[in-house]
Amino acid sequence: MVRKVGSWSLKSLLFILPVIVVLIFLDFYPIAYSIYMSFTNFGEFHFFNYSFIGLENYIRIVKSGFLWQLLWQNAIYAFGSVALFAPLGFIIALVMNQRGLRGKTFYRTAILFPWAYPAFITILIWQGMLDYRFGIVNELLEKIGIKPIYWLGTPGTAMLSIILVNLWLSFPYYSYVFTSAMQSIPSELYEAAEMDGYGPIGRLKNIIMPMLSRQIAFVVIFGFIFTWNNFYIPFLLTGGGPGTSTQILITYSYSSAFSYLQFGIGAAYSVISILVLLVIVIIANHYSKMMTVLY
Amino acid sequence: MKNDKGKYYRRIRMAKRIVSHIFLILIVIFSIFPIYYVLLMSLSPLSNLSQMTIEKLIPNLTYLTTNNYEAILYHYPFLTWLKNTLIFSTSATFFGVLMAISSGLALSRMNIPLKKVILYMMLILSLFPFVIMVIPFYFMFSELGLVNSYTGLIIAYSAGAVIFASWLIKNYVDMIPKDYEEAAQIDGYTRTGALFRVVLPIAKPVVIFALVLSFMGPYTDYALAGQLLTNPSMYTMAIGMYYVSQGTVSMNYGTYSAFAVLMGIPIFLLFFAFQRYLVSGFSIAMYK
Repeated sequence: MVRKVGSWSLKSLLFILPVIVVLIFLDFYPIAYSIYMSFTNFGEFHFFNYSFIGLENYIRIVKSGFLWQLLWQNAIYAFGSVALFAPLGFIIALVMNQRGLRGKTFYRTAILFPWAYPAFITILIWQGMLDYRFGIVNELLEKIGIKPIYWLGTPGTAMLSIILVNLWLSFPYYSYVFTSAMQSIPSELYEAAEMDGYGPIGRLKNIIMPMLSRQIAFVVIFGFIFTWNNFYIPFLLTGGGPGTSTQILITYSYSSAFSYLQFGIGAAYSVISILVLLVIVIIANHYSKMMTVLY
Repeated sequence: MKNDKGKYYRRIRMAKRIVSHIFLILIVIFSIFPIYYVLLMSLSPLSNLSQMTIEKLIPNLTYLTTNNYEAILYHYPFLTWLKNTLIFSTSATFFGVLMAISSGLALSRMNIPLKKVILYMMLILSLFPFVIMVIPFYFMFSELGLVNSYTGLIIAYSAGAVIFASWLIKNYVDMIPKDYEEAAQIDGYTRTGALFRVVLPIAKPVVIFALVLSFMGPYTDYALAGQLLTNPSMYTMAIGMYYVSQGTVSMNYGTYSAFAVLMGIPIFLLFFAFQRYLVSGFSIAMYK
């Protein structure tokens, strides 16, 4: 009898066992290890004989004032990116969704290029293109009468470069999300709106925007979450520089650990980054109920 | 009077079309330019960035050369890097997606204790970037003697792929009506057999999506590989590319471009070959 009740669930446990093992040993354990490390003085001077120092790392981080700078930069990076790629994706989708527009297939294929090419490589290509003296971007600007810009060399323009490169990397995906969402709006709605005498702006305001509110919320929330910890753009494009002006929490955590060998401090920064993200996810969930995908 | 109005509207429509095309062409130039640029650099005889001028953006066929490709193939251990990258990527993809298929099917169709808790954990973990794991992995693998070993990184990469992939497959399979399996069971399949023989083929788009995604992670990872691999004979293409890129702006930019093309084109072609699966797989699995 026990077998009869248990056999299916025993079998189903077998199916899921590998993932449970991964979750425990390669996700929870390392995260717990990270959290533990953040409470120790694990680092260059205490490599093998580190000790538990309580909240000292966190107190040092908060007192240094540097945390606020990092949070601020991280927020600019994430908000600035979403504020550019979400509207651009939306506009491209609107333009491409016009009835009877020719060359749609060509345009749709061509804008996939930034998504299709590995970001790791294209970020480094952009680094060369944005070079102050030899970069092609400055050369093109010079042709139309704009003085060369020190793209990666001053704090403000370096952050701008990071956001623009992120725009280039991200807009294809968001154009696709919005295009497929717009195509799912029944065409009767457009026809009805036309009969009621709505112009293009009226249609946008009264049909497209309300119908797409869920996708827009999705894009903004997930765009923000993905960008918040998107390591490679700052790491490869500017290396966090000039100075520390384009460091975000996760890149600073990485360089604290592997460049300055302060593993405790590095772990503490990554814990802070996760905590901030968790708070954002909880708030976003409260408003958009994105966790409802589970039910 | 009516005719005039018709003409007026036609003109407006015409102007709208023209503006749309100009806008889209500008967007296309923006998307394609960096890749065109690096391809052109890789085939040109220019050795450094400073020799690149606007006039040279239009390729002169008589000047094109494969010197840069010869340089990257013969003067750098490119083939070793390629071999290592392929070992890591294919093994991690194989193990990761295999686990993801079994758990994705199970999470969607079977009664599993604490299923909701497991799903919550997976959703939250899939929001965290892989980079967060680098510090603990570095020490865990040092203690286990898995630094500079294929096994260590393959374990790490499989783990990196499996959570998100299971989540995607579970969501996709949820949308497949149960009638298919029930019909298959009437035809004599076991319940497990029906899942693998009938449901899995229907879930092909999301499985392909998971395969490509899992392959991409190790293929372009520097954060973990850069710390765990210190032996040059174990280097991957991403590590090689990172080192070659440092200080190449004024020298050897052509060689570097050839590297960028050789490393990027396979993924680029893979992407376009499976484009329709990728786009549908992602949007369906992310918000059903």
